[in-house]
Amino acid sequence: MTTADLLLQQVINGLSLGAMYALLALGFTLVYGILELINFSHFNVFMLGSFVGLWTLQAMGISGQSVVLYGLPLVGVLLVAFAVVMLFSGVLGVVIERISLRPLRNVKGPAAMITTIGVSYILFNIILLVVGADSKNFPNPLPAVNFAIGGAVLRLRELLIWAVSLLLMATLYVFVQRSRLGKAMRATAQDAEAARMMGVEVDRVIVTAFFLGSALAGAGGLIFGLYYNFTSFIIGFTAGLRAFTAAVLGGIGNIPGAMVGGVLIGLIEAMGGQFIAVEWTDVIIFSILVLVLVFKPAGLFGTLVPNKS
Amino acid sequence: MASDATGEATAAEVPPADVIGIAAPRRRFAVALTPARRRILLALVLLAAALFPIVHDNDADIDAVANALSYAILALGLNIVVGFAGLLDLGYAAFFAIGAYTYGVLSSFQLEPLWSSFWEPFAWLGLVARMAQSGGPDVVHFTLSFWLALPLSAAVAAGFGVLFGAPTLRLKGDYLAIVTLGFGEIVPIIVRNWSSLTNGAMGLNGVAAPRIFGYSFGINAEPFYYVGLAMIAFLIFVSFRLRDSRVGRAWMAIREDEIAAGAMGVDLVRFKLLAFAIGAGFAGMTGTFFVAKLQTATPEMFGFPVSVMILVMVVLGGMGSVLGVVVGAIFLQLLQSWFLEDLSGWIHSFGRLVGSDALQRVDLVQAIELIFGIILVVMMLFRREGLIPANRRTAALTLQEQHAEVRRGAAIDLRGFGQERTDVPALEVRGVTVRFGGLTALQAIDLSVPAGGVVAVIGPNGSGKSTLFNAITGLVHADSGSIRLYGEEILGLPPHKVLVRGAARTFQNIRLFPELTVLENVLVGQHARLQTGALGAVLTLPRTRAEEHAAREWAMQIVSIFGNRLTPRLNQRVNALSYANRRRVEIARALASRPKVLLLDEPTAGMNPAETIELASQIKQLHTLGLTIVLIEHKLDVVTQLAETVIVLDHGEKLAEGRPEEVRQNEQVLTAYLGRSAGAGSAGLVE
Repeated sequence: MTTADLLLQQVINGLSLGAMYALLALGFTLVYGILELINFSHFNVFMLGSFVGLWTLQAMGISGQSVVLYGLPLVGVLLVAFAVVMLFSGVLGVVIERISLRPLRNVKGPAAMITTIGVSYILFNIILLVVGADSKNFPNPLPAVNFAIGGAVLRLRELLIWAVSLLLMATLYVFVQRSRLGKAMRATAQDAEAARMMGVEVDRVIVTAFFLGSALAGAGGLIFGLYYNFTSFIIGFTAGLRAFTAAVLGGIGNIPGAMVGGVLIGLIEAMGGQFIAVEWTDVIIFSILVLVLVFKPAGLFGTLVPNKS
Repeated sequence: MASDATGEATAAEVPPADVIGIAAPRRRFAVALTPARRRILLALVLLAAALFPIVHDNDADIDAVANALSYAILALGLNIVVGFAGLLDLGYAAFFAIGAYTYGVLSSFQLEPLWSSFWEPFAWLGLVARMAQSGGPDVVHFTLSFWLALPLSAAVAAGFGVLFGAPTLRLKGDYLAIVTLGFGEIVPIIVRNWSSLTNGAMGLNGVAAPRIFGYSFGINAEPFYYVGLAMIAFLIFVSFRLRDSRVGRAWMAIREDEIAAGAMGVDLVRFKLLAFAIGAGFAGMTGTFFVAKLQTATPEMFGFPVSVMILVMVVLGGMGSVLGVVVGAIFLQLLQSWFLEDLSGWIHSFGRLVGSDALQRVDLVQAIELIFGIILVVMMLFRREGLIPANRRTAALTLQEQHAEVRRGAAIDLRGFGQERTDVPALEVRGVTVRFGGLTALQAIDLSVPAGGVVAVIGPNGSGKSTLFNAITGLVHADSGSIRLYGEEILGLPPHKVLVRGAARTFQNIRLFPELTVLENVLVGQHARLQTGALGAVLTLPRTRAEEHAAREWAMQIVSIFGNRLTPRLNQRVNALSYANRRRVEIARALASRPKVLLLDEPTAGMNPAETIELASQIKQLHTLGLTIVLIEHKLDVVTQLAETVIVLDHGEKLAEGRPEEVRQNEQVLTAYLGRSAGAGSAGLVE
């Protein structure tokens, strides 16, 4: 491969990773925008989402890479898988909020964040104890259709990932911009107190944010499995940290920012892996996080959450 | 009004020093754990710990306790960061790793540079040795002594703490959690990838065991146990000394309310960094101890699970509770190494008994991290203060004390408001404009307060009064203009520097440090006027002791301005006080900083008429003493009584300025207050 082909190939890879990070980053940004809370349980909602995807696909008789579907059956299976995963993750997010975070809504200090770490750790260890430490082969019903673009290869799964992510993000964007509840979310993010006085049911807004964010994280988890053909109990940690960096890079609290930030982080990871070294990827991304926080804490697209003092 | 109260309060009302805790540490439990008994208890525990290896001569058990002690030290260090200063550090194990590798690399055969004369002075100091190599040139063998490595690794880790804390501690607390999480993640990665320094994933080998007087510890658990015990006793002592000092108060103030802490003169970045560095130092020291004991180090020993485990220890014992976190750490460690297996065995037998397969498969040792997660959530939901809470429970006032006749106080004995009687205005605001996005909150405001004067700022809600205070005290950034305090420009200074220059304030919505006592709140007000640093706090030399004593006496004098309103409640936490008393504490806290200009934001809000009159007369006395006062107030009788000049704000602009009675007649002011149609009536402005 020539350098140009390598570059193109890494752009393709980076966009796929980026789509996944963007989905995950949206959950951080939605919750942070409203509660100013870094939700660490989000890391492992994503991980659990990928396992639920695995089990759903297996339940539909698809195991490993041997079962390949075409046409309507493929679309149907994928639709069911995404629907089940997103519903499960969304509900999981709502349950986490309801049980462990709502009682701490008005507690100052790190209590809520510590709780989300605890929840994250519980999810992580449940999966570890139930499925074990080995990574699991992820069923993938997609036919191996490849398109050659110069020397680079674009696989069908990448097209699928882009399409699904774009669809989900566009839907979220329209929901937040156009719907009544979306408007309430934006109002609550700006000033929860004022929104409450204007009749916004803040609890409902928060539940919605958790549902949507977690559902997108679940979709991200399924995408992870379809992209890499495996999943494991540890995937939440690294992906979560990268996605959070994406959210900060785009400007935390800013929905389009999280999308762009996710894609950028995906591209950086792909390029860094190609042209620097894979084992330094986390160091590079962490350095980006620190640099953004030092020099542009509001991120690329601004809107730091207003200082509610 | 002002003079009739002055005679009542005398210095005799100030309780003697030992009553307010200068000599005696505060009571921690309502139960009879007096300081003396606590000391005896602590001594007994230490004695039992010292005798343990002699009584129980089992190397494996002693080893387990020695390991538990090192985790207890880590918990003590994290407690300073999370418990005292309220900063969530999720990558604490990174500092543990840094300390471990500092000693590991400098005492093993990992690095072997060629010998040259450069190394001779180090060899003379005993830090390196010249080593012959078969068939090659001589090389350097690093032989750093364990005893030197302890302070060195603490310093190195603290240095890294500053390095990583500096960029992020300026931001809001939340980001610190994620950055430390990332930091905790990449340090092991760097250790793994940088094999020339660390031998990568294989781990360092042949780390030297500590030696003392020619005796090598080898792999005996016992000497390590005693070193660990000595370290933990020392660090418990350090933690207590820090907690009860100016430094500890500053940390807790930051934890309780960052904005108020800054406004009271606490340099936020500096004290957060200090907490971060000291916490890192504890971890660095432990790293050296741990590696010396294991005589190896691998990247896996310092991963995220270790950081979480230490956090669990702190949360379980009680954030901010020194003894709590030690107990929490030792408990969790010994639970893992001693009891979990037995416990699993019992569950299995019970499972056999009831014929349950599921119970027979339970393996608690495997599930320890799940248990950690559950502990975190359950503690946060049901017992945030931990098993052994840090907060002392002060006995409530007796009914008799509560219903004691109110004695008004006076400020007659206050020294320390030395006024520079000059022609330069105490406070001069010129053309200050503040914009929030598209909204202009203040438009070219001018305000001049003569030294010793009282100026009131009035205006409808939302007219920019509090924004003006925020601009003066550095809490909001003014877009243009100039603010001078006795001729010195203070615009652009951060809040703590504004306080140092002599402007102290109260807040409209009361921003006290809720978990601290009345006395501690007032002492935080003096932060900027005291000097004790971390080292001074630990050593507590006579100078520090005298400073603390004087600080407490000054606090007592300030508090006695309010008669017996606050004096009986000195050791009560302020979140248990009545609204009016909280206002008084906030004023006392501001006064404690010996301000030249006192800015009061609605001091009488929420007070009943009698309390309002009382407070107004107390403010009047402060003025009589020479204090310059700027006050925001809605109660116009208070304004009329106190102020020499009134300025009226409306929609961010200055509507009028003049003597109270002039302003009351001003047509525009009446319109602003009462609406356009009511412009003619003037009676409405009186109350």
